[in-house]
Amino acid sequence: MSKKPGCSTPILIAGLVFFAMFIFAFLFGPLGSKLFGLNVPEWMAVSKPEIQLKSEAVAHISWFTITNTLIASWLTIIVLGTFFYFATRKMKLIPGRLQNFAEVIIEILLNFASSVGEKHARMLLPLLATIFLYVVTNAYLALFPFFDGTIYIVEPNGFHAPIIRAANTDINLPLSLAIVSFLYAEIQGLRTHGLFRYLNSFFQAGKLREGFAYLFKGKIKPALGSLTFGFINLFIGVLEVIGHLVRLVSFTFRLFGNMTAGVILLSAVTFLVPFIAAIPFYGLEMLVGLVQAMIFGGLTMVFSAMAMTSHDIAH
Amino acid sequence: MENIGINVPLLIAFLINFGILFVLLVVFGYKPILKMLDQRQAKIRESMEQADLIREQTAKSEEQMKAHLDAARKDGQSIIAQAAQIGEKLKEEAREGARKEASMVIERARVEIDRDRDKAIEGLRGEFADIAIMAAEKVINESLDKKKHQKLIDEVLEESKTFKK
Repeated sequence: MSKKPGCSTPILIAGLVFFAMFIFAFLFGPLGSKLFGLNVPEWMAVSKPEIQLKSEAVAHISWFTITNTLIASWLTIIVLGTFFYFATRKMKLIPGRLQNFAEVIIEILLNFASSVGEKHARMLLPLLATIFLYVVTNAYLALFPFFDGTIYIVEPNGFHAPIIRAANTDINLPLSLAIVSFLYAEIQGLRTHGLFRYLNSFFQAGKLREGFAYLFKGKIKPALGSLTFGFINLFIGVLEVIGHLVRLVSFTFRLFGNMTAGVILLSAVTFLVPFIAAIPFYGLEMLVGLVQAMIFGGLTMVFSAMAMTSHDIAH
Repeated sequence: MENIGINVPLLIAFLINFGILFVLLVVFGYKPILKMLDQRQAKIRESMEQADLIREQTAKSEEQMKAHLDAARKDGQSIIAQAAQIGEKLKEEAREGARKEASMVIERARVEIDRDRDKAIEGLRGEFADIAIMAAEKVINESLDKKKHQKLIDEVLEESKTFKK
């Protein structure tokens, strides 16, 4: 290897080949052929991506439909389960590579949990880590070529359904995670504060009660003030409840949107410029997958930690 | 809702999937790994504490050794000093003894010499008296009483002795 970057002969040759492929793909791919009026050669024609938000059915078991996204999520579970099973099968004080890798992942997540949840870190970890690992593995597995379009089954109506499709692109998966996350946060809030105090943290009924007390004592003026504040608090409480419910939607659509957009972007780039050009976007998708997983897990944790700490301070 | 594919059975299936994954990861992932992390932390803490203890002990024993060495050095020095002192004393004693002996020898010699000399003088005196008497006899031919002569001579000798002295 020579000292100057890019001057090494093998790298230069590889770079030239890649560049030539890129130019070739650009010129003769759908994009170039439209621009310059060339014909797409038969062998490099990529079928036009069909964007379908709904996951496709692969098999039917009586009333239940197994979709391609469900298969992908099973694959994720198998991959993660196998990895952790083998990584922690024989735990040693001085870890091997596999054990070390698993430990590093968990330790990073634990540190993240500690930075957000502090003393609750150990309790929050399982949910955070599971969401993170699930989402990130779904996203990364989806970058493998056997996803989304290499293996098809042909449905009776002539529609080509890929047998496996990125699990995150099925709205049911982000929604299921959002439900788990939402329920977990609310249940933690209820458990730490009790039903009454937790509800009170939304509605702040103290002022209202005070107002009624003044009213019964016949002090009209302070009663009016307190009642006004009380009703404002009530209204804010309603908004607060809506805010909590909206988390469900935002959680769902953030993940679903990002992941679906990623898949569409990749297939579009691959269609337009068949070779090489998609590689940077794969890198981008890796980043997006990681970030989305971190956001989903992190927000779950933040909301849970917020629900567990005192609401009087939070508002 | 139908357009984006929300589907209750599928949603439930995903929830179940998540539950399965959660249980799997708790059993095979978090529990053993957290246990191991704790174990390792405990082990490291223990090792470090032990190391600290050993370092402390080493420092202490080093100090002790130093103290011992110092004490030994001091002892050695005092022993040497003592030995030197004793040597000096012995030398002094020997010198003193020699001096005494010498003076004794000299004294004895002097006494001997004195005695010899006195004896010689005594002898000489007797001889001389006899000779003197003999000579006087010869000179005056028994004119004088021997006893008187003897007395005379003794007086003279006594006088001469006092002279000499």
